[in-house]
Amino acid sequence: MDDDGRLLVQRLRDGLRLVSTVAQAFAETTSDYRRLLDTIAQHIAQAIPDACIVMLRSDDTLTLVAIHDISPDGDARVGDLVNRTIPLREAGLSSSVLARGPLFMPRIDFDALQRSLTPAAIDQLKAGGATGLLVVPLATRGELIGVLWVVRRGTQRPPLDEIDLEIVQDLANHAALAVSNSRLFTQLERSEQLRTLEDRAVQASSLLDAIVENIPDMVFVKDADKLAFVRLNRAGEQLIGVSRAELIGKTDFDLFPTSEAEFFVAKDRETLASGALVEITEEPIHTTGGMRWLHTKKVPLFDHAGKPQYLLGISHDVTDRKQVIGELSAAKLAAEAANRELESFSYSVAHDLRTPLRAIDGFSQALSEDYGDRLDAEGLRYLTRVREGAQRMAELIDDLLTLSRVTRSELRRDRVDLTALAHTLLGALQRLEPDRQVEIVIAPGIVADADLQLAAIALDNLIGNAWKFTSKRSNARIEVGVTAASGVPAYFVRDNGAGFDMAYRDKLFGVFQRLHPESDYPGTGIGLATVARIAHRHRGRTWADGKLGEGATFYFTLTEPHA
Amino acid sequence: MPERVIVLVEDNENDAELTLRAFRKSKFVNRVVVLRDGVEALDYFFTRGTHADRSPEEIAQVVLLDLKLPKIDGLDVLRALRADERTRLIPVVVLTSSAEDQDMARSYALGANSYVRKPVDFNHFVEAVRQLGLYWLVINQTAPV
Repeated sequence: MDDDGRLLVQRLRDGLRLVSTVAQAFAETTSDYRRLLDTIAQHIAQAIPDACIVMLRSDDTLTLVAIHDISPDGDARVGDLVNRTIPLREAGLSSSVLARGPLFMPRIDFDALQRSLTPAAIDQLKAGGATGLLVVPLATRGELIGVLWVVRRGTQRPPLDEIDLEIVQDLANHAALAVSNSRLFTQLERSEQLRTLEDRAVQASSLLDAIVENIPDMVFVKDADKLAFVRLNRAGEQLIGVSRAELIGKTDFDLFPTSEAEFFVAKDRETLASGALVEITEEPIHTTGGMRWLHTKKVPLFDHAGKPQYLLGISHDVTDRKQVIGELSAAKLAAEAANRELESFSYSVAHDLRTPLRAIDGFSQALSEDYGDRLDAEGLRYLTRVREGAQRMAELIDDLLTLSRVTRSELRRDRVDLTALAHTLLGALQRLEPDRQVEIVIAPGIVADADLQLAAIALDNLIGNAWKFTSKRSNARIEVGVTAASGVPAYFVRDNGAGFDMAYRDKLFGVFQRLHPESDYPGTGIGLATVARIAHRHRGRTWADGKLGEGATFYFTLTEPHA
Repeated sequence: MPERVIVLVEDNENDAELTLRAFRKSKFVNRVVVLRDGVEALDYFFTRGTHADRSPEEIAQVVLLDLKLPKIDGLDVLRALRADERTRLIPVVVLTSSAEDQDMARSYALGANSYVRKPVDFNHFVEAVRQLGLYWLVINQTAPV
C-alpha cells in the first residue's frame, strides 16, 4: 500500500472513531442537547481542525451554542462568544446559501465567498487566518434549525476534503435530529405538565363553583370599579327573584329602588375603602317576592398588587327571625300590660272585697253585743257562723293576694338562711300554742340562693301545714332539712301528722285542692299552690311523699336541676 | 280652751260607724270628727270651704286616714298636710284595707307616722283602734302647735 493509501485508511479510521465517539454522546443525550452539541463541536474540532462552531436558530436569530478552536491562539478567539445571539441576517450567511446545501471551500477564495458571506464575516475569517471553510445546515423535516461551521486555519495541514465533508454532514444531520427530538420531547413534556395543571385548575374551580352555588345564603360579587354584579349564586337568585343572566353586569341602581341602592352602594364603598369586613345586621331589600330583611357581610377581594378588585357579599335572610322577634316583643308587651292589669285588679281585691267583709263581721258582732239578750242560743250561733264565714273569706282573699304577689314580684336572689327562718317560724307557732308538745328537728346551716321574701313564704306555708296536720298527734315531730335531688339541694319539711294518700299527690299543689275536710284541718287550699309557684319562679320544683295517717314530707328546690 | 279631737277621714259609712263603735268601746272621750273625702279633709284642716267656719280651737290630736278616698286620695291629702306649715306636725295614722308594699312605702315616704291595716275580724279591729288611741291620745306627746 502506498503512502496515500495508508493515509486514506488512517483518515477513515479517524472518521470512524469520531463517529463512534459522537454516537456515544448521542446515546447519552436525552433533553440536554446543548451539551451534545458542545461535545460534537469539541470532537469535530479535534478530528477536523481547527475550529468548529454550532449555532442554533430561533425564529429570526441565531445563538452560538458551542465553539471549539484547537489552534494555538484558539482559546482567545473563542472568548465569550457562547450564548451570543445575533439576528439571522447578520450571521454572516445570506439565507439562500444554506437552502442550497452545505458551503464547502477546501481552499477559500475570498472573492467567490463574497456571494455567500457578509463582508463582516469574511473579515473575521481573514483575521483568523482561515484557509478552508465548511458550513453545514442543521435541518430536520425541511426546517433549518441551526448551522455548523468548520474552519481550517493556516496551511500546515492538508486542506479539507470530501471525507471531512461527508463525516461532518452526517454528524450534522444526526445532531439536527437529536436537537429536534429533544425539543419535541421537551415540548411534549411541557404540554403534558400544562394539561395536568389545567386539569387541576379546572377541578379546583369547579369545586369552588359548587361550593359558592350551594351555599344556602346569597353570595354575590361586584367589580370594585363600577360595582356591577359579576357573580350571584343560586340562593341569591331565589332571594332576589332575578336570574343571574339578568343581573350580571347590572348595578344596584338597575335592580332596586334608589334609596335602597344608595344604601347598598355606600356600604360597598365603605368596605372597599376600609379594606376590611363591613357587617350590616339588618338591611331591607325589595325583591320580586316583596320586602325582605338581610344580615349582610361584605369584604373586599384584592388583586396581586393589594388593590381591591372585587367586592364579595354574603347575605343571610333574617326576615322570619325578625318577624318572630317582633311578635315576641309584642307578646311581651301584652303580657306586661296584662300583668299591670292583674296588679290593679289585685289591689282592688285587697281593698274593695275586704271592706264589706269588715261590715259583715263588725255588725254581726255589734248585733250580738247590743241585741244578744233578744236572741236565743241558736240565733247567737248563727251570728257566729256569719262572722266565721266573713273571716274565712278574708283569709282566702289574703292567700290569693299572696299567690298573685308571688307570681308577679321581681325575683331577687340572695343568700337565705333557711335554718334561721325555720327556727323563727316554728318558734312563733310554739308561742301561739305553748301547750303543744312538738319535737322540732332543724338541720343546721341550710342556706339557699333565693329570694328571701318568697323563700320565707314557702317555708311558712310548709311549716304551717306541718304544725297544723300534727295538731292531733301526741308525739308530734316536725323536721326541716335538706337532701339532694337531680344534683341540686332539695329542701324538705317532714311531719308525722295526718299524711295523705299518694294516689292524690298530683292534686296537692293545685289551687283550692284539699285532701282533708276543712272541719278537721282549717285552711284555704292555696298554700301549697303558692309554694309550687315560688319553686317555679326559682326554676325549681315541688313534690311530696306521704302515707295516710303516718305523715308527709314536702320537698322543694330553688334552682334548675343539673342536666 | 282648745279641744283635742280625733279626725277620721273615711268614705265608707260602715267602716266609719265601726270605727266610731270601736272608739266608744275603748272608752275614749275625745270627739271624733268624720270627714268623707279628700276635699272635705283638706277643707277641714285649712279651715275653708264647707269647714270655713269651724272652731280654730279644735286641734287634731291624731288623724286616721284611709288611702282610697273620692276626689282627692289619701296619699295626696297626706302630701298636702305635710307641705303646709300649719299641719305638717299633726300625727297621721294611715288606716287602710291595703297591704300593698308600695302603699306602705309611699305613706311612710310622705311622712305618715303609722300604717295600720284594718283587720276584718271586728274584735281585732277594736283591739287595733284601742291600741292606736291609747298610744296617740294618751302616751304620745304631740309636738306643740
